[in-house]
Amino acid sequence: MELRKYLFRRLIEITIIFFVIMTILFLLFRLAPGDPVSRMVDPSMTPEDARHLISQLGLDQPLYQQYIIYLRNFFSGDFGVSFHYGTSVMGIIWDRLPNTAILFTTSIILSAFVGIFLGKIASWHKDKKIDTWLTLGALICHTLFLPWLALIMIWFFAYKIGWFPLNGILSPEIWIQTDACFFSKLIDVLHHLILPLATLFLIHFGSYLLIMRSSMLDTLKEDYITTARAKGLKEKIIRNHHAAPNAALPVVTSIALSLAFSINGGALTETVFSWPGIGRELVFAVSNNDYPLAQASFLLIAAVVLLSNFLVDILYAYLDPRIRY
Amino acid sequence: MVTNTSDSMAGALDMLPKKRQKISAFNEKWLIFKENFIGRAGLILLSLFALMALLSFIPPLIDPMYHPMTGVDPKISCSVGPSIHHWLGTDFIGRDILSQLLAGAKIAFMVGISSAFISIVLGTSIGMIAGYFGRYIDAILMRLADIIMVMPTLLVVLIFSSLFGQLNIWTIVLVIALFRWPGVSRVIRAQTLTLKQRPFIEAAKLAGASPIRIILRHIMPNVLPLSLLYMTFRVSSAIIIEAALAFLGFGDPSSVSWGMMLQWVWKTGHMFQAPYWLLPPGICISLITLSFYMVGRAMDEVLDPRLRKEDD
Repeated sequence: MELRKYLFRRLIEITIIFFVIMTILFLLFRLAPGDPVSRMVDPSMTPEDARHLISQLGLDQPLYQQYIIYLRNFFSGDFGVSFHYGTSVMGIIWDRLPNTAILFTTSIILSAFVGIFLGKIASWHKDKKIDTWLTLGALICHTLFLPWLALIMIWFFAYKIGWFPLNGILSPEIWIQTDACFFSKLIDVLHHLILPLATLFLIHFGSYLLIMRSSMLDTLKEDYITTARAKGLKEKIIRNHHAAPNAALPVVTSIALSLAFSINGGALTETVFSWPGIGRELVFAVSNNDYPLAQASFLLIAAVVLLSNFLVDILYAYLDPRIRY
Repeated sequence: MVTNTSDSMAGALDMLPKKRQKISAFNEKWLIFKENFIGRAGLILLSLFALMALLSFIPPLIDPMYHPMTGVDPKISCSVGPSIHHWLGTDFIGRDILSQLLAGAKIAFMVGISSAFISIVLGTSIGMIAGYFGRYIDAILMRLADIIMVMPTLLVVLIFSSLFGQLNIWTIVLVIALFRWPGVSRVIRAQTLTLKQRPFIEAAKLAGASPIRIILRHIMPNVLPLSLLYMTFRVSSAIIIEAALAFLGFGDPSSVSWGMMLQWVWKTGHMFQAPYWLLPPGICISLITLSFYMVGRAMDEVLDPRLRKEDD
């Protein structure tokens, strides 16, 4: 019951934060130096169309009325028309969202699991050779410059050895065939997924490993671990069933807290690998001065971060029964 | 070298017993730090990068063709590999890669340290104020921190540069700083909350000290080591964000940074033909981040005795 109350409060908080971000974006786009009309209205439009759009967006009306129109458009899912593509922004975003979701969730989940597993091993062999190597490797991977790592991956695995495609999400020659079966398409996407996934994985797993290691070292000093040892339990059981689940909680928190930072990395990876996702679309939109698309993708990213923070709150309450709000 | 100075300082301050105590506390911390392999390696790497930054003004003096931005070798007009005149080769219009690399070190230090400094000053003061005053001040400041924390800094700077046109390097520094303080302020706030319960703060309050005096004289000295620790991590992240921005083509066009060098390799399609050009800037960005991170981790172990090895 208490938990439900807490989650409800968090949900309200998150909604308020989202509205604040929306308002900040609205003000930024209307009040930044330069003509707001040129940011909302496609320069290649005919004068009649432009006039129609200006009155539709209320750009000739006072700011508060523009804000009301902005909110109304938001709730009806209307983010305007992209300057660059000439189609509805919402359609573009729905089209790109699954690609980003595939890349991002698989990389986070994979790196979290591997990070937790290796961090457990490193802490168990503290100050031995394996610990030193794992920690050093994690430190190095964690601080590698992501776009550079991506370029090196492409250079080595796609160009030198030629195991993987250079970029993109699918090979046109397979998708042109009308008789290509679903399975071969799936294999093709997976084949394209491996390099960007490996890049993001290498960048992320290091920090999870380091957090898991230090959290595990703290946990191993707890009384209940001594108790478990005194009971004569096997070391492996103590490690995997008594210490690790508790020690993994800070990793969950850190995933949530570093999510905004991981999204930076996601956008860079998508750009270098030409992976058609939201992050790359945002970078493109900024380069092409495609303001409606840039605004909508930024809002979507903020919403995703907020929602995942909320999901982590739920997950946390489920994982740690000691926490009761 | 640093040990020598602190030793001689300790010697000079023999007659000042109180100050000497402080120095020896510092000395003790320094000794622990020095024993730490990761910290030592980090410091050595950092001094190498500092040396690079210091040497960056030399190549243009030797010959104007070594100027990182405008100098072009008249005999070369495309990217060629290492030679006697260009130790690391040249880029696509015949500029020297080594002198660009040295200039990049200067920019990295400038961006990293100034942006980290601003965000640490902001984060520490906001954290102390929120923690000490509590109630609605705390609520407002921490909600503000929540809002900033969900926005990916790189994408925020991207949006800014789309709205305000090409940003110069100091604007980039400022925007990064303004969006990277919430993490610090949360830690400092938590620390301030525990300090607030301690008797010496109560005593200071009873003695009639004003809140500002308590914050500055009694709380700040206790949270400053923590701020300094976070500063090393913030330097890393500021360097990465600036490099990523330059890599995407939104950097300050008037200065050569490592990120921009990588952008040139990538955009001019040299990444498959010119490994001598692709490797150095990426290695530099990764290593400088790594070394600040290593110094930070070593400091963490010095400040937190629980993390030290069991036997000492």
